Amino acid sequence: MKTVSLLLLFCLSLWAISAQEIVEKVEHNLQSENGYSKITMSVTTSRGERTMKMESWNRGNEKSFIRILYPKSDMGITFLKIDTTMWQYVPKIEKTIKIPASMMMQNWMGSDFTNDDMAKESSIVDDYIPTLSSEDSTKYTLTLIPKQDAPVVWGKIVMEVQKENYVPLRAIYYDEDAKEQRTLYYSEIKVIGSRYLPTVMTLIPSQKEKNKTVVTMDEVDFESRIDDAMFTKNALIRFSR
Amino acid sequence: MIILKMALRELTTHKKRSIITFLLSAFSTALLIFVAAISEGTHTQLIQSSVETYPGYIQVRDAKFEDDPSFENLIFNESEVKDKVTKTTGIKAVSSRFETFALYSSDKLTVGGMFCAIEPESEAKVSRLKNALVEGEYLSSSDTNALYIGNELAKRLDLKIGDSVSFISTAADYSFAADNLIVKGIFRTKLYEFDNSSAFVNKAYFDVLMHSSDIATHIIATPEDISKIDTVSETLKQNLSNTLEVRNYKQILEDFIVAMEIDGIFSYITLGIFFIVIFFVIAIFAFLSVYGRVRQIGVLRAIGTTPSQVMGMLLFEALLLGLLSVSVGGVASGYATHYYEKNPIELTSIGDMEMEDYYKQYNMVAETTLPTQFDLASIFTQMFIMLLLNLLTVLYPIAMINRFTPIEAIRYV
Repeated sequence: MKTVSLLLLFCLSLWAISAQEIVEKVEHNLQSENGYSKITMSVTTSRGERTMKMESWNRGNEKSFIRILYPKSDMGITFLKIDTTMWQYVPKIEKTIKIPASMMMQNWMGSDFTNDDMAKESSIVDDYIPTLSSEDSTKYTLTLIPKQDAPVVWGKIVMEVQKENYVPLRAIYYDEDAKEQRTLYYSEIKVIGSRYLPTVMTLIPSQKEKNKTVVTMDEVDFESRIDDAMFTKNALIRFSR
Repeated sequence: MIILKMALRELTTHKKRSIITFLLSAFSTALLIFVAAISEGTHTQLIQSSVETYPGYIQVRDAKFEDDPSFENLIFNESEVKDKVTKTTGIKAVSSRFETFALYSSDKLTVGGMFCAIEPESEAKVSRLKNALVEGEYLSSSDTNALYIGNELAKRLDLKIGDSVSFISTAADYSFAADNLIVKGIFRTKLYEFDNSSAFVNKAYFDVLMHSSDIATHIIATPEDISKIDTVSETLKQNLSNTLEVRNYKQILEDFIVAMEIDGIFSYITLGIFFIVIFFVIAIFAFLSVYGRVRQIGVLRAIGTTPSQVMGMLLFEALLLGLLSVSVGGVASGYATHYYEKNPIELTSIGDMEMEDYYKQYNMVAETTLPTQFDLASIFTQMFIMLLLNLLTVLYPIAMINRFTPIEAIRYV
């Protein structure tokens, strides 16, 4: 009996490690040490559709920089995130504004994404405890529960990951009351260097079926080195032009 | 007639007894009327302040706005809806608002708060925003980037009249909106949370910047007669599309009004206990006075006065004294009630706690006065109750005294 129990515990620990490994591989695909991308974001609501184009630079989860290219009225707006702090420069008012931490869950530029999503403040590896809920021949289903002191707002994330390449298929986000809030679908997988990258992400909020935000990565570069000067407050104004 | 004469003679003969009964009853009447008037006045003031400070008596908004206050659930035909509201019978004033959220950034700090567009002239007729001005000027319909800001928010952002503050927000079409605003006026409504998080601009300017032309989040209306608000709200509902929701202040501030009603009930229970005590004091006094006259009543009975005449005489005494004391108490407290309605009692602190701090913790309008409510119908009702109590107090002693035979009564020690 004792041997069976130990064997069971050993198997369970193997499962836990597996789940951790899966999220690490997922994060490896989605995140890079140095990344540049050109993005098109289409926001659809019951009242119409709006398109934005932007460039994004990131260094791991800690630093990121975004510049809006289109529409013309928003061109030059820049965002900088360092660790948990986010700034925004608005050329029209010639001002750099620090976004309060309490605003990180506000919608970003009228889309269904939040400031936190855009700043990539949270990490599924560092901030969540994964468990493998189920698996079939093609995909794993993981349940991610936030760690005790993790700076995240989601109560739970259920993520389906392709077995073949560790690319997520979809992630369902729940709030602290276990109420489903939104689903993020990943598609159009491309191989970029050693990564499998879903280049289209579609976010559908659960309470608003007519809404969706589609993010398409038009250009991706994980190889080029990004200048440290990009991740400074001065860059907000300098790269705004 | 003879009974009335006997009653009058009795009252004037035993002056001391009459004066004590009179004072007890007059004082109780005055106190009942005055305390009830303070309770009613304070509740009315709190409800009025809460309604008129900003929410308004009647709100029209999209039916889904409460559950999902997003830009998908706005009033998209604002001018048409506003026109229908204006033409509804019983509506005195109408004004449109567009409420959203913005980040305000001064040189020192960035904070989030309510960013609201108002029609300055008509807003002044549906809320007390204009009257809440403490510094600078109120908005006008020709203003562009002028900001009317709550004093606590201005304090947090370290802003004075003429200072510049930037805002960033999302426009009604979900595009990005930002501009530099100049502080034109600072208001203080005494509703701490509101003053700490709200700022207003002219809607004409806002509509251009936020792409919200002919769009509103709320249309606020004031009825001509507040007492007919339920009828007016119902008429409005019938006049407007069912995609819109009409709520009057009783629904908007439902919890608050229920809390006030419960508080009112507790006030009356407290008063009730107080008056039971007073009633028994008067009753005991009446009992002792009547029983002190057993021998006198025995003599009256012996010379032919019937028990019903005795009862009539004693009731007349109580009625005369009651009428006099209740009238004096009613007139005195009526005058005081009227005076303190016009000149409310100032109450700036309770013990060590400032009234403003007290109200702040409940997020209520910090009123530092206790007004009375002068209501003739209410005063007469309370006077009538007191008169009735006065008569009730003598019924038991009368019944007891009429059980005596004349001989028993004459021999009573």
